[in-house]
Amino acid sequence: MDTELSAPVVVFTLLPRSYLLRIAKKCKRFLQEFYTEDDNGKKLFKYGAQLVALAHREQVALFVDLDDVAEEDPELVESICENAKRYTALFADAVHELLPEYKERDIVAKDSLDVYIEHRLMMEQRGRDPADTRDPRNQYPPELMRRFELYFKAPSTSKPKVVRDIRADSIGHLVAVRGIVTRATEVKPMMAVATYTCDQCGAETYQPIQSPSFMPLVMCPSQECVTNKSGGRLYLQTRGSKFIKFQELRIQEHSDQVPVGNIPRSMTVYVRGENTRLAQPGDHVAITGIFLPLLRTGFSQAVQGLLSETYLECHSITLMNKTEDDELGNEELTDEELRSITDEGFYEKLAGSIAPEIYGHEDVKKALLLLLVGGVEQAPKGMKIRGNINICLMGDPGVAKSQLLSYIDRLAPRSQYTTGRGSSGVGLTAAVMRDPLTGEMTLEGGALVLADLGICCIDEFDKMADADRTAIHEVMEQQTISIAKVSLITASWHHDLPQRPLLYSSSSEPRLRPLQPRKSIEQNIQLPAALLSRFDLLWLIQDKPDADADLRLAQHITYVHQHSRQPPTHFTPIDMKLMRRYISLCKKRQPVVPESLADYITAAYVEMRKEARVSKDTTFTSARTLLSILRLSTALARLRMMDTVEKEDVNEAMRLMEMSKDSLQADKSSTTRTQRPADVIFSLVRELAAEGRGAGGLVRMAEAEQRCVSRGFTPAQFQEALEEYEELNVWQVNQARTRITFV
Amino acid sequence: MPSTHDWINDPFGVVEGMFAASQSDPNSGWEARAVEFFKDRLKEKDAHTLVPSLNDIPMHYLKPNSLVKFRCFIQDMFDPEFYMGVYETVDPATQAKTLRCGKYKDVTECGVDFNSKNTVTAERQTFYCVPIPGENPWVKERYANSSQARVVPSTSYVPSRQKRSYEEDDDMDDMDTQPQKQREAHAGPQSPTEHHGNGDCKRQETEAPSSQTTSASHLDLNFPLPGEKGPSCLVKVYKDWDSFKLNDMLEVYGILSVSPALSALADEKDASSSLVDPTECMETAEEQRVHCPPASLVPRLHMLYAKQLQHNNPLLPSAATSEDNSAFLASTLSEMPSVREELLAYLTHVLLGDALAAEYLILHLISNVYVRRDVLPLGKFTLNMSGCPTVASYTERLYQIIQQLVPSSHYLGMSLQNMNQMRLVPKKDYVANRLVSGALQLAKNTSLYLDETQLEQGQLDTTGVRNVTALGNLISWQKVDYDFNYHQMEFPCNINVLIASEGRSLLPSDCQIHLQTQVAPSHLEEYLSTMHMLSQASSQLNKFRIYLSVARLLDYSISDEVTKSVEDDFVDMRKDDPQSISAEDLHRMLVVARLLSLSQGQTSLSRDSWLRAKHIEALRRSRMEQHKCVNGNEP
Repeated sequence: MDTELSAPVVVFTLLPRSYLLRIAKKCKRFLQEFYTEDDNGKKLFKYGAQLVALAHREQVALFVDLDDVAEEDPELVESICENAKRYTALFADAVHELLPEYKERDIVAKDSLDVYIEHRLMMEQRGRDPADTRDPRNQYPPELMRRFELYFKAPSTSKPKVVRDIRADSIGHLVAVRGIVTRATEVKPMMAVATYTCDQCGAETYQPIQSPSFMPLVMCPSQECVTNKSGGRLYLQTRGSKFIKFQELRIQEHSDQVPVGNIPRSMTVYVRGENTRLAQPGDHVAITGIFLPLLRTGFSQAVQGLLSETYLECHSITLMNKTEDDELGNEELTDEELRSITDEGFYEKLAGSIAPEIYGHEDVKKALLLLLVGGVEQAPKGMKIRGNINICLMGDPGVAKSQLLSYIDRLAPRSQYTTGRGSSGVGLTAAVMRDPLTGEMTLEGGALVLADLGICCIDEFDKMADADRTAIHEVMEQQTISIAKVSLITASWHHDLPQRPLLYSSSSEPRLRPLQPRKSIEQNIQLPAALLSRFDLLWLIQDKPDADADLRLAQHITYVHQHSRQPPTHFTPIDMKLMRRYISLCKKRQPVVPESLADYITAAYVEMRKEARVSKDTTFTSARTLLSILRLSTALARLRMMDTVEKEDVNEAMRLMEMSKDSLQADKSSTTRTQRPADVIFSLVRELAAEGRGAGGLVRMAEAEQRCVSRGFTPAQFQEALEEYEELNVWQVNQARTRITFV
Repeated sequence: MPSTHDWINDPFGVVEGMFAASQSDPNSGWEARAVEFFKDRLKEKDAHTLVPSLNDIPMHYLKPNSLVKFRCFIQDMFDPEFYMGVYETVDPATQAKTLRCGKYKDVTECGVDFNSKNTVTAERQTFYCVPIPGENPWVKERYANSSQARVVPSTSYVPSRQKRSYEEDDDMDDMDTQPQKQREAHAGPQSPTEHHGNGDCKRQETEAPSSQTTSASHLDLNFPLPGEKGPSCLVKVYKDWDSFKLNDMLEVYGILSVSPALSALADEKDASSSLVDPTECMETAEEQRVHCPPASLVPRLHMLYAKQLQHNNPLLPSAATSEDNSAFLASTLSEMPSVREELLAYLTHVLLGDALAAEYLILHLISNVYVRRDVLPLGKFTLNMSGCPTVASYTERLYQIIQQLVPSSHYLGMSLQNMNQMRLVPKKDYVANRLVSGALQLAKNTSLYLDETQLEQGQLDTTGVRNVTALGNLISWQKVDYDFNYHQMEFPCNINVLIASEGRSLLPSDCQIHLQTQVAPSHLEEYLSTMHMLSQASSQLNKFRIYLSVARLLDYSISDEVTKSVEDDFVDMRKDDPQSISAEDLHRMLVVARLLSLSQGQTSLSRDSWLRAKHIEALRRSRMEQHKCVNGNEP
């Protein structure tokens, strides 16, 4: 690469005078004549109106939108962008000349400088002989008289650049950059015009200041002093000088803009006047400004030697939060990209593109895809029904649960990955911390807070402390987080952070203890049923021998090792960035369930309930199940980019539910394992209850025991089963131990 | 044509000559030719050994503005600088204007015409480089010995050298406190490495360690590992800086610049940050200190040419030309099986007679992440050696053995104190605008030795939890998430982690092997005291060193037939007992097979190697069964 860039250090190219005049006229005309038409065809003079406000000191900053300029004169925009500093001055001159025309009434002075200026102007009109020429330095410099600021807004056609793309060839240009603010100084007054008075003749001298440092004037240059050689000394007058607000920012590239293995670059930004105090460290910003070399004078210039420092002279700052910022990168998908996604079998293709290095698990991947898209949130009459889909993955060790999770973590634009073991009490919700610098208490977001509006992946969920699980409980259903940490003693301070994490958790089974499919899930992962029912889908990923599948798995793995890359599939996985953009596009849809489908869904639900009652289901089919189906089907409709849910969506949602249930009862097909006595006893008792001998889920103890003993169980076994299930809160036994009540 | 002497001692002469010659023809591309000239010169036989190295010659022996080399590690990257590539000077007497070249320079001559139309602004990049972290003494020594550079301290030293920095004066004054200081610097909870430094007085002499260590206390040179010494350098890069990445190992050839004016510049900036000058407040004093440290401590090196090092083993030809390299590899290939036998015997001896563990240790030592697929690094082989005896500081002795074998390594005692206090993950310091290094910022193929036997019961605080998580991430994904305060950035790495523990480690690992000592506990002390340590420079040790590095550089492939049989094997094994092997196990077995083949100098997988891999895996697993319930760390 050639490092020599032909950018001159001298930025302000001198333009011929005639040309300047022409441009100045152009600027004036634009400001006066530019208008937009409103709905009634009435002309709205966008800048005219602002000029009025400026003239009356009701507005300080005037932003010239280069999009507007482009409508009038595209060429002008180009020259503005290339020589922005110069054109700022030209436009400012134009505004200065125009302002008196727009002044409609007398204004009340706002500060001492206003009064000062007014006085000087009056004096000039009164006493001055028009023929009397003054020393230029005794004239009022335009900078002193101007009380407005003029800024450009970059045309929307120019894309914000990355800090590292701004090279020496951008010097003097108007550029737009994006970044994160890492440092902001306090706002300080900076002298723009220094005003001096002479102790001998009383004449005022002005010194406009452009550079960061200046050499104060000492000797009075006025005619009087010079001719008399009186040696008048100048004294700086603070009230008559003009100061502007000044702040310095440091911005740094976003992490996604940095090539792998590089350190993010940073850039200094000078912010003046009305643009100050807009950004704070940590903010994501887009800044339009002029990239300039820092001109030093005198000794520092000599010492500085070969180097020239640069900075960005800020014209406008736009704050963006992270999500908007994401959207910025996600312009509309091109037709071609859309076609590449939405062609035949796009659902399978999208699902297959999730963690392509992991073989198989198509249905799990589909479920994860729906989780990424999310269902539609509904809020009928103030009741909030979440739209997010929660998924719990369980399974034997080594079935790539963690890989799936970490892929989702990488894919989701906003996500938080934590492990159950790693997340301490503070880790999940929020903690109050004392800021070491300022000593003030701040709210520290835990994994869940940070994942707000995003996805929270919790690995090894089962190893988490109970207290944290309770927190998750709340988040999953209510989508709020309560902050009640020890350091805040105000009892149960219920703070509703706008919180909407999609919780997605996985639970690894302890090594060396394979899952026992016959046991209920509660037993296997030791999670309370109440929490489990909050998951829309539970997947048990099992490691079952199957010659065909094993061979394909082996082929997949050996291929990776043999060729150091993924085996060719019948499709190429969709690029992560494209996926992200497509998903964010899908999320904008708000599909509804049409009236006609309501009956279908109700019928299906009733059927499921019936089925659940007949088969000895390990999961519980409840009204929550119905909501889950709705969520899944709306997510599917979103994925198709449709605005209504169709029958197929509902069917697919139910199929996924069914598959997830199947995965839990996976051993139907495999060798019949002997059921544990406790399980059989439980089902016997449940049968009793269902038969309705005891009213309302009530079974008499004696009856139950008799039934069990008749089936060949010992009373001891019966008692054991009784206690076991009581612990699980499946049923309750009254104190006299005569009745069993199902919960 | 300049003579050899010239281009090393006066590289500017060459550069300026070319610059002057190019003035008649603006498109001559003199810059490329200048770089080419030095490259050609260095290619000549042994020419590169003539260039003095910053690594082993103390700075005050080096001539300013001469060509030097530096074997280093990119620790941080600063923002680009704009400088005057071409500028014009005006002779105050004659008013004659001359064009000058600003490349490879820090300071200009007097009388620069800042408003000249002929000024050309160019861009260059600064890297902060430190010596390769964890580089073992034998490597340094070997490199130093191979250097033929002639430095003549008596003549070039006195006049050209700037004022001695006051830190050094301090040393002169209080020689008594010196040893103590040094001890403090190294008494850090880790590093049994110090055992080694004692013997070689020769190095101490050449290295002038005093100035380095003590100055470090005044100015934090930001070495990734505590207790490191050596020069650090600001390397100015003029072209292709995008091809360099953080944590790369480089050998930089460049022009040394230690002009005192640079320090003056820094002082001036410090002084001028007064109230009238608002622009200076941004550049905090701290930032100044970091970005413009005194040149006497952190010299500037203007890069003419750099090569990225694949390895830092001085016994191997440097990988400048790959043809040479492959010839060398081929020559050693045939010897590999026999060297392997010797090494195996040696390691078996070291591992108290456990041949299987020795086998796995070899596999671990030659492992290397050869490709990365999405999140999945392939080829990593973290070994957890459990059942290490806790007597007679066995684990530390083991580290010393490893230290002798590999070019770079680091010992990290996982004591609670260390875990809670050490900075493992690098963190961006926005005040000083630099990346504060951490112990996990290591070059590729560094051996990280985690000693878990040091761990005792107690409370891990937040830092501790973060550190343990970072270690876990490093092992599982071979990445470290650098802390940029507002966000984290993932940096892939390639570090060989070996965990020595009593029971199963609390950290994840690719493979756990339980040490079965053939030595009775009562005799252990005695055994260890007689344990045969190979002498530093023995030819056998050198053979081992070459062997381990070569095995890592070999290419490897799997033929289709073998692939097929592996697949069938897998299906069969699953049929018999599905619990016996999972996808993860297959992954591991393929890695073991790969490493096993490479360790024997075979560049493709044979059926035999596969069976052997299966065999040793089975042995290892059966051993694991026996030691299942050693502690509570089994999840």
